[in-house]
Amino acid sequence: MSALALRYDLRRDGLAPVSLAVPGGVTQRVRLPDAEARARLVGAVLSTRCAANEELELFGEPVRGLRAAGRGRLHDRIGVVTQAMGLISNLNAWENISLEAAYHGTQPVARIARTARDALESLGTEPSAFLARLPDEMDLFERKLVAFVRLLAKEPALALIDSLGEGLNREQAARAARFEAEYRARQPEGTLLFVDLAEEASQ
Amino acid sequence: MLRALREIEGGVRLSLNVAGRLPVLRKPPVLESFLRQVYFTGVTASTGVVLRASLLGVLIIAITMDVLDADADLAVKILLWVVLREVGPLAAAMVVILRTGTAMSAELAMMRISGQTDALRRMGIESYDYLVVPRVAGVMVATAALTAYIQFLAVAGGMILSPFVIQASFTELYTKFFDLVAPVDFAYSILKSMMFGFAIALTCCYHGLNPPALTQNGVPQAVTRAVTQSAVAVLTINALFAYLIFGVLFFGLVKAVV
Repeated sequence: MSALALRYDLRRDGLAPVSLAVPGGVTQRVRLPDAEARARLVGAVLSTRCAANEELELFGEPVRGLRAAGRGRLHDRIGVVTQAMGLISNLNAWENISLEAAYHGTQPVARIARTARDALESLGTEPSAFLARLPDEMDLFERKLVAFVRLLAKEPALALIDSLGEGLNREQAARAARFEAEYRARQPEGTLLFVDLAEEASQ
Repeated sequence: MLRALREIEGGVRLSLNVAGRLPVLRKPPVLESFLRQVYFTGVTASTGVVLRASLLGVLIIAITMDVLDADADLAVKILLWVVLREVGPLAAAMVVILRTGTAMSAELAMMRISGQTDALRRMGIESYDYLVVPRVAGVMVATAALTAYIQFLAVAGGMILSPFVIQASFTELYTKFFDLVAPVDFAYSILKSMMFGFAIALTCCYHGLNPPALTQNGVPQAVTRAVTQSAVAVLTINALFAYLIFGVLFFGLVKAVV
């Protein structure tokens, strides 16, 4: 059995505890009981920090007490698509996609450009016009698409996608369902975690 | 009073942060943001100032000539002392405050209010590095370039158009101007305009990133504060430079070239 990519525990007074264990290299869908639990999990993974009533391990390493360098190293291996890490409104799609990876120097710009073009074409979007558009000119699905391609550009070992289907119509949800195959094609050894609320997932 | 002290402290901290973080300009997205700022502040502003700057020189000469009933010699001195040293940098600073300062403070306040600065932090990108450093450096460079451009247009405009309003030929004005002008005049105005750009960008970034309220109402309030305080900062710097250069320097050991 492969090592855990993510282990998370949340204890709450009067509310159901949350406990997750996600093995490395798999695709897993998690249904959390409420929005607070979802926000805490996503926040903890994004910041690679946890509060007193939380426990978070990433790739077998507890994040509590980690120094800045260790946190940065873990952060480079994680990609997240969530409302809390939205797009920058004065940057076009390409600039939004390349910003994080180019800033941290984790990937060369030419490689990010290739990844972005290939991924967009594969997901049925013509890249050249799309990459020049600003977030305000996009619908919700397109904004999620940019955030997902930004995640792919980072080539993360652990990808967390928060509430992918939320707010999408049937056709958009069908297109969004192809994200899993796209990630898997690029990161065969990677771990993909979809996070939803229990009531959303049941709808 | 307390707010004013807090703002001064914030401004000083921000200046030190910017100065210490300049190497971050090597990162491609930060460099891109710097170039975009130079383009917006310098290049796009330049077309709008051509006519105004050209008329500025002739207007100042014509009015002063009329009031003082002076000759070509005084006209050139006015062109040099007033237009080149004072009005050029001040006019560029006002253009930068009105165009760039307002846009910058509104943009940053919107980013702060809509949570985009938090999104940057979650990506591991420092707001100072990505939002402040390229804007401050870009506005400094662009203000200096815009100043040089306005000075050139105002002086050239003054020399070409003045013969129509005073008893002097273009050649006479041209020769007298180049007899009087010294490299220190250019160095003075360029250094001063870079300080103007630094103060404007820093003030606008500070108020943009610290709007008085984290609601839509905070945006116009942040812009108003940024613009008024930028103007005060520019006038203060101008007064300090005038004192340093036209007064005495280093307790009278060095006298400025006039």
